[in-house]
Amino acid sequence: MGGVQPLPGSFRDPSGSVYQFEGRIFRTVNGCFSQDFDFVTSTGLFKKLATEGLLLPFEVVSADVLKLSDPKPRYVLEAPRLPFISYPYEWSFPALKAAALLHLRIHLQSLEVGVTLSDASAYNIQFQGNHPVFIDHLSFRRYQSGEMWVGHRQFCEQFLNPLLLRAFFGISHNAWYRGTQEGITTGEIRRLLKWRHCWKWNVLTHVVLQDLFQKTSTKRTKSLQNHSLAQASFPLPSFKAMLEKMFHWISQLTPLNKGQSTWWDYDKTCSYSSMETKSKKQFILEFAQTVQPTFLWDFGCNTGEYSEAALNGGARNVVGFDFDQGALDGSYHRAVERRLSFQALFMDAANPSPNQGWNGHERESLQSRASADAVLALALVHHLAIARNIPLVQVVNWLIMLAPQGVIEFVPKNDPMVQELLSLRQDIFSEYTAEHFMGLLKEKAVIIKNETVSKSGRLLVWFKRK
Amino acid sequence: MRHLGICLVISIILIVFGFENSALAYLDPGTGSMVLQLLLGGIAGAVVILKLYWGRFVGLFRGNAREESEHSSSEDQK
Repeated sequence: MGGVQPLPGSFRDPSGSVYQFEGRIFRTVNGCFSQDFDFVTSTGLFKKLATEGLLLPFEVVSADVLKLSDPKPRYVLEAPRLPFISYPYEWSFPALKAAALLHLRIHLQSLEVGVTLSDASAYNIQFQGNHPVFIDHLSFRRYQSGEMWVGHRQFCEQFLNPLLLRAFFGISHNAWYRGTQEGITTGEIRRLLKWRHCWKWNVLTHVVLQDLFQKTSTKRTKSLQNHSLAQASFPLPSFKAMLEKMFHWISQLTPLNKGQSTWWDYDKTCSYSSMETKSKKQFILEFAQTVQPTFLWDFGCNTGEYSEAALNGGARNVVGFDFDQGALDGSYHRAVERRLSFQALFMDAANPSPNQGWNGHERESLQSRASADAVLALALVHHLAIARNIPLVQVVNWLIMLAPQGVIEFVPKNDPMVQELLSLRQDIFSEYTAEHFMGLLKEKAVIIKNETVSKSGRLLVWFKRK
Repeated sequence: MRHLGICLVISIILIVFGFENSALAYLDPGTGSMVLQLLLGGIAGAVVILKLYWGRFVGLFRGNAREESEHSSSEDQK
């Protein structure tokens, strides 16, 4: 093999691999899969899905471009590079739901032309802003009469069960999903179910019976193999009906206790007035107009109000992070309604996504995936420095390390929000002052502009790394 | 009626196990999922068969009813 190595997460499928070479993204199609690839291409499905915006478009380029010899790929495809790769354990409920529906929609369209999907991995979907797009061109292969929905179990684990966790129990999927990486097993979700859930046909079949059959068969695997289970037939109309019913069911799912999160209405109930909000937005707008960031990170994005201000100012792509589900849901709907190039992800700033998976590199950490050219950290510092006891110097250094420039908001101790954080605990934060914060910032950055935006003394600081 | 029941059972068995399929993927579909799909396929097959035979099924009663009414009307005529 030549010097180019496949991306660390691209090793499971023998049909081909993904490579990054000279800043471009390539996907190889190995000889063993070329017949299927040729067939799918001949149906016109790739073009149709790409035209509808459901599939990432690609071009077949010279097979020598990667200089691979062992094995030499039959085809090499080049796909546009996405500005940011995100993982299902970082997606909000509505984003995971949109991804699930996209997968089902694509599978149904594929079956119409005699093509099926070989798996149902949520990692095959990425977001362009708030818009989900299918990225794995090698998941498509020729449908063989009578075959089953091979990816059904995986679909349940990676899409359905994580959605049910929030829809039935009000628990977000993110921490659990990040732990397992492969989603939530049907056995686990079944153990959580109450009787009131089980009488529904979809729950009974896709959760209760599937788990029951799995457990029973585990004990009698050998006898089931003797019954040629792997060679049994599933009629095409039943296959389609199963996908359609799953689509209908998932499209009806909504989070339990919607609106009871801490931050979902923060932009309406927070402690500053509309005048103060206006000044804050104006500050962000001016920053974005001047810097014109290609890729901006908004830590503590809440419902995306200031991400939107940055986009209005000229930022091209914004990825926001928050750990509150209500805020993330609000961000998603804001991005969809206003067609913003904005994606809000679940992330605790004190515990960002690490490198993990096979060999510790299958799924990359937040910082190895992309480097932003600007960062917003509005009303975030006090949550880290006071609520999480992270020394102020470390918070400041971390923010400066994230991007070469940005805007940080410092919320002083006399602000009602900080007072609330300190109300039941000892104030051990003698260094948490605006003067000390500015001093730390000036050690590693130049202050371009600063402005006090509230009566309590909230301070916005536009910095540029030295 | 007995013929109809036997027909139904045989048809489901044929639909579920009759057509062999050798499409194997790199992904393990999971035995629980496969058995579930066999069941769902069987139920869907049963619905199709019920639809096909519904006319005959209803016809059996209608036929009986017609026979009975014909029988009773012929008795009336006596």
